Amino acid sequence: MNKNSNLYIVIYSTVMVVVVATLLAVAALALKSRQDANILNEKKEAILASLSLSGQNYDECIEAFVVNEKGEKIEGQDPIQLLFDLPTAFAENTLPVFQATDGRVVVPVSGVGLWGPMWGYVALEKDMNTISGIVLDHAGETPGLGAEVATPKHQAMYKGKTLFEGDEFVSVTLRKGGAKDEKHEVDAISGGTKTSDGVTAMLKSSLGAYLPFLKASVATPCCEACAETECETNNVENNE
Amino acid sequence: MSNKNLKYLTGPFSANNPVIVQILGICSALAVTVQLKPAIVMALSVTVVTAFANLVMSLLRNGLPSRIRIIVQLVVIAALVILVDQVLKAFVYDVSKQLSVYVGLIITNCIVMGRVEAFALGNGPWASFLDGIGNGLGYGLILVIIGFFRELFGAGTLYGIRVIPESWYIAEGGFYANNGLMLFPPMALILCGCIIWVHRSKNKDLQEK
Repeated sequence: MNKNSNLYIVIYSTVMVVVVATLLAVAALALKSRQDANILNEKKEAILASLSLSGQNYDECIEAFVVNEKGEKIEGQDPIQLLFDLPTAFAENTLPVFQATDGRVVVPVSGVGLWGPMWGYVALEKDMNTISGIVLDHAGETPGLGAEVATPKHQAMYKGKTLFEGDEFVSVTLRKGGAKDEKHEVDAISGGTKTSDGVTAMLKSSLGAYLPFLKASVATPCCEACAETECETNNVENNE
Repeated sequence: MSNKNLKYLTGPFSANNPVIVQILGICSALAVTVQLKPAIVMALSVTVVTAFANLVMSLLRNGLPSRIRIIVQLVVIAALVILVDQVLKAFVYDVSKQLSVYVGLIITNCIVMGRVEAFALGNGPWASFLDGIGNGLGYGLILVIIGFFRELFGAGTLYGIRVIPESWYIAEGGFYANNGLMLFPPMALILCGCIIWVHRSKNKDLQEK
């Protein structure tokens, strides 16, 4: 048979495409549940890590709920599921909040870096102003450059920074050449300017969306949550 | 293993190295060598994909219409890369996060297609498989050498572990500073050029007249 005849080529490519498509579809379906479980687990770990509660049981330490753009709690949404598509969650003003039993809250942030999406979790102290911890992650920033934002060394710089100057929301900025304002700035990444700018914009816009909630929480702290300090106590014990 | 097969495996380490002799895969050698860890992970992934792409294409070579062979190669390579990615995501999620964008880059790595086109289409499956492994490892060797120098002088660490003490740095009152140029791709090209220079001065038969 002539291997370069049109008929042969059409049949050959059709068979090849069907075989390859079947193979990939079967693999994707068979592995989907395992992959989703990995991703869900990673998100829970990241929330705990931002609170420095790594290794604790998520369900015992965290109470999750959803607020709208006015900072009011709304029902009917699963906070964890919203994390899978944060840009849509922000666009629709369904904002997930993760409250630790010691009164600190974790809010997710979502933005874009140089190559693709970035996201993270910002843990705030009970004053809803001081950053207690932060976890940043990205889909594909350059290792050694932009991807440095995902390292503990970079994230440690955010601890203790404050979001507000008086009543004004100023967020936290990554400054090239080193932080100048001790309260609101951290060092940017050398060779990762676009990623650093992306983190700055992400913090500003995402935390900005939570402003009404943060202000409301300072005015009326959630007392039922503050009463239980089980997780915090556990953590102290672990440190000893 | 016969001498001939052994040569397929070890030739690409030096005399027929894909990066510094065949000048294939330079692009990814510049991109992933800022640190050793991604360089090693990338080298291993490319080795797996090159070996299996060579194997599959060598098995298909007799029925393959030559007019669409490039497309067929692309489909086979892309399918292999997606499979590898899916398996990594399901079973070793940490590694797959480490690889991130580079999984996709494997598809465009010219070594994979270059070896399929130059070797697998004209040789048997076993020889092709060995050729793929040899070229993947030869590529990895160069990546590791470049990554070693870039991470050591660019960040003061090796495989993420601090080698140059923090106290040496100017910020800590010392005398030392990292070389920022090491973090950028042009330095990888310069290092690659240096390796080619050293390699050719040792292998006189590779020098162009």
